[in-house]
Amino acid sequence: MALNNNRLKRVLMGTGALALAGLLSPAALATDAQEIIRDRCLACHTESSDAANSTFSRISDQRKTPEGWHMTLNRMEHLRDAKISAQEKRELIKYLSDTQGLAPEEAAPFRYLLEQDTNLVESGVDENLMQMCARCHSAARFGLQRRTLDEWQMLVDFHMAQFPGIELHAGSRDRPWYQLAHNETSAQLSEQYPLDTPEWNNWSKAKKVDLKGRWRVTGYVPGKGEFSAWMTAATDDDGRYNLKLEGNYADGAVIEGSGKATVYTGYEWRGTLTIDSVKMRQVMAADKDGQVMAGRMFLAMEDEIGGELRAVKDTGKAQVVAVMPSYLKAGESAELVIVGQNLDGDIDLGDGVRIDEVIARSKDRIVVTATATGTPAVNDVQVGSADSTVALAVFDQVARVDVTPTNAVTRIGGNGGEMEKVRATYRAIGYSAGADGEAGTDDDVRLGYMPASWSIEPVDEVAEHDKDHLYAGEITPAGMFIPGDAGPNPERKMSANNVGRLNVVATVDDGDSKVEGRGSMLVSVPDFVERVLD
Amino acid sequence: MKLTQMLKSTALVGSLGAAALLGAVAPAAQAAQEYLLTVTRPGHLQVIDMKTNQVERTCEVPGNFGSGSIALAPDGKSAYVLSNGMEDVYGFDIRSCDITFHAAQSTKTLKVKTFQSVAVSPDGKELYTVQNPFGLERDRFTVEQPRLAVFNVADGIGAQPVRTFPVDRRITKIATTVQGEVILGGGDVKAINPKTGEIRMVTPLQSWDKGPLWLPPDAFAMHSQGEQSNEYIMPYVTAEFTDESWNFETAEWWWGMSRVDLETGEAERVEMVPFEFIVFNFISHPHDPNILYGAFNTLSKHDISKKETVAVHEMPHTYYDLNISADGKTIYVGGASSDISIHDSDTLEKIGSIQLSGDMSTSDLRVATIRD
Repeated sequence: MALNNNRLKRVLMGTGALALAGLLSPAALATDAQEIIRDRCLACHTESSDAANSTFSRISDQRKTPEGWHMTLNRMEHLRDAKISAQEKRELIKYLSDTQGLAPEEAAPFRYLLEQDTNLVESGVDENLMQMCARCHSAARFGLQRRTLDEWQMLVDFHMAQFPGIELHAGSRDRPWYQLAHNETSAQLSEQYPLDTPEWNNWSKAKKVDLKGRWRVTGYVPGKGEFSAWMTAATDDDGRYNLKLEGNYADGAVIEGSGKATVYTGYEWRGTLTIDSVKMRQVMAADKDGQVMAGRMFLAMEDEIGGELRAVKDTGKAQVVAVMPSYLKAGESAELVIVGQNLDGDIDLGDGVRIDEVIARSKDRIVVTATATGTPAVNDVQVGSADSTVALAVFDQVARVDVTPTNAVTRIGGNGGEMEKVRATYRAIGYSAGADGEAGTDDDVRLGYMPASWSIEPVDEVAEHDKDHLYAGEITPAGMFIPGDAGPNPERKMSANNVGRLNVVATVDDGDSKVEGRGSMLVSVPDFVERVLD
Repeated sequence: MKLTQMLKSTALVGSLGAAALLGAVAPAAQAAQEYLLTVTRPGHLQVIDMKTNQVERTCEVPGNFGSGSIALAPDGKSAYVLSNGMEDVYGFDIRSCDITFHAAQSTKTLKVKTFQSVAVSPDGKELYTVQNPFGLERDRFTVEQPRLAVFNVADGIGAQPVRTFPVDRRITKIATTVQGEVILGGGDVKAINPKTGEIRMVTPLQSWDKGPLWLPPDAFAMHSQGEQSNEYIMPYVTAEFTDESWNFETAEWWWGMSRVDLETGEAERVEMVPFEFIVFNFISHPHDPNILYGAFNTLSKHDISKKETVAVHEMPHTYYDLNISADGKTIYVGGASSDISIHDSDTLEKIGSIQLSGDMSTSDLRVATIRD
């Protein structure tokens, strides 16, 4: 409370009206945030000023994402005894990620981590960085930071002091880990991820587009399915956006919600909405023109449970944004939903696709029954003169099924323990073989998400012998994997807990044939450390 | 072939070592009383009478649980426990639980961690730790040079180092030789003279030169508990590749060790048995240096003269470490959970169990021998 009072007093006495305008004015924000740093951080950090601007030791030599700064502030609070109110913390995260954030190109390779989509195996990581850093945490964790050489070295020293056993782990004790990390890895990081970059130089100067307005949104909610909706973002007086979301799932059921969003660094969209009475979070990146946003929406309480999210701004132009489903089997009929905005005119699903009936039609959602009479092809979906990059795949046979996530980690939990189970949701993606008639080659045609039946199996002989498939969990008909209970299980060898290694198998019905796809799943132990970014 | 030669020399050193050990241990063992020591959570030094296998005494260890590392005084009457997050050393008279020694290594500006490394000089007068200091500056940490710290045991509570000498990073278990050197188990096994700070190489491991077809050893001594054989074991895993394609699948995997005879300060390094399963801690049979025992998910017995694992006993849960009675007949398997499992050293059959009040976690399992 003392914090709030002090802060209030200072606001009233000092910056007055500017403070009330709060986050709306960048200049005011900067002054305010720097004052917070002076008030809250200078017990340890040091300010240096020249005529033009102030710098703060450590702080000014780093750039990070909003989540990165959030983690830093959490650490300062919990491990370094910083006293900071929730409001001050919000202001600092905003200020620091606006002024010392990452350019869109810099964050682009690692968006999965910001989107909390952690059921994946990172690829393309430099072997040395993999061994030295990504052995313990994701490569995205440091790939989403920019520092000076000194700062990368101080980060290594922080790791040593905070986790003194780090140089004794398997994978570090076989080498002079600290010397390598401090001298060589830091140098490599400062070259690969330096503080000063042309990308940030350009982006920090670029004019940012206000993301308020009306957005045509398409996405997927596990257990409910694909949806299309309108989302309006109206400016609030606290500098955030008030959100309203209204639309339909593919089966016609209503999706509805409201909430708030903050935009960081001019393009990082972070929304929190209550949708159908469940709290969900949106993490998206806007393109540079502020016309399209893409990312992920997931349960606030369970990051793993979520799906893709895409938003296209309503600029008054006609545009097709999606067709659901995105495939049609040759010789068959199906109901298709075309989603867009300001749609007018003839519906054209390409040569060889006949529209049998328009079941419902508005300017943003058209439901038709169509029959594929022709041969396999990838057709443009067109409505009048609307812009469209949306395709409908006409196929004769599902040649291959991919399971997504391909690699997942779930965690046992519950059973009176402190941690809840960490679940995973699965979807099946169908492909046709493409021109070469062979599945698994580059020219396979992605048809889209397909309904599947789900099962699990042990991943190998050892897993089968240990009966992992009987203990580690089960999968629902909708493709939701629910891991087993936490704690020792006396039925298992050495009273092992219900961990296991499984394949998750999707079976897609394609006429008379069935096509299977597999993903691998590690059912692991509870993770007691909650991080903003893994 | 190199291995055959090694085998020969191992056998030779082994049999000589056995004779020496027999000479040293056997006569005294008759009058000796053995106590099994371990530390349990939240912070108890357990003193177990090995005649009755009952907990005779439980000493309160101040501070947060560290790693349960224990060093013994040569007379067996005092035990030194690493506590308080691996920062403080407490000395106990195990006959009374009296705290006779306390060294708080960290200061306001320096956080000092010790990774298992505690040992006592052969005359019982000096205590050694390897300190890993981290500077606590206002807005940053610094990483400082590790050092051997020498304490006078007689300084008791509040003891401060009387000498320090720089040492390598990554040192875990240490031990003292009869000559007074301190064996430093890190990337290589080295020995330091705690009077002068002079360091000599005992066994190169990280810096060995076995040619490109041998994987650099992954050496790690979390527990080296060789008091019953007066030796120090640094185990390692390595692999010999078939060719320069370095195929891990076709490589031959080995358990190896550097075994230092604490009587002489000399070491043998040997790839002793094929790597078939994980062992967390090896000990030798006190009367037959060719026989090794290992603990983890199994209790295992190995004859290194034949490079064979001769017996394996499946354990009901994981145990990190083990020790053995001076007569070589009884094996105690502990660590991880709260029960010490007692086994016949011949058959490995379980013959008893000791239930403790808390989990041993990573704690040592050591034998203190009091001879009067």
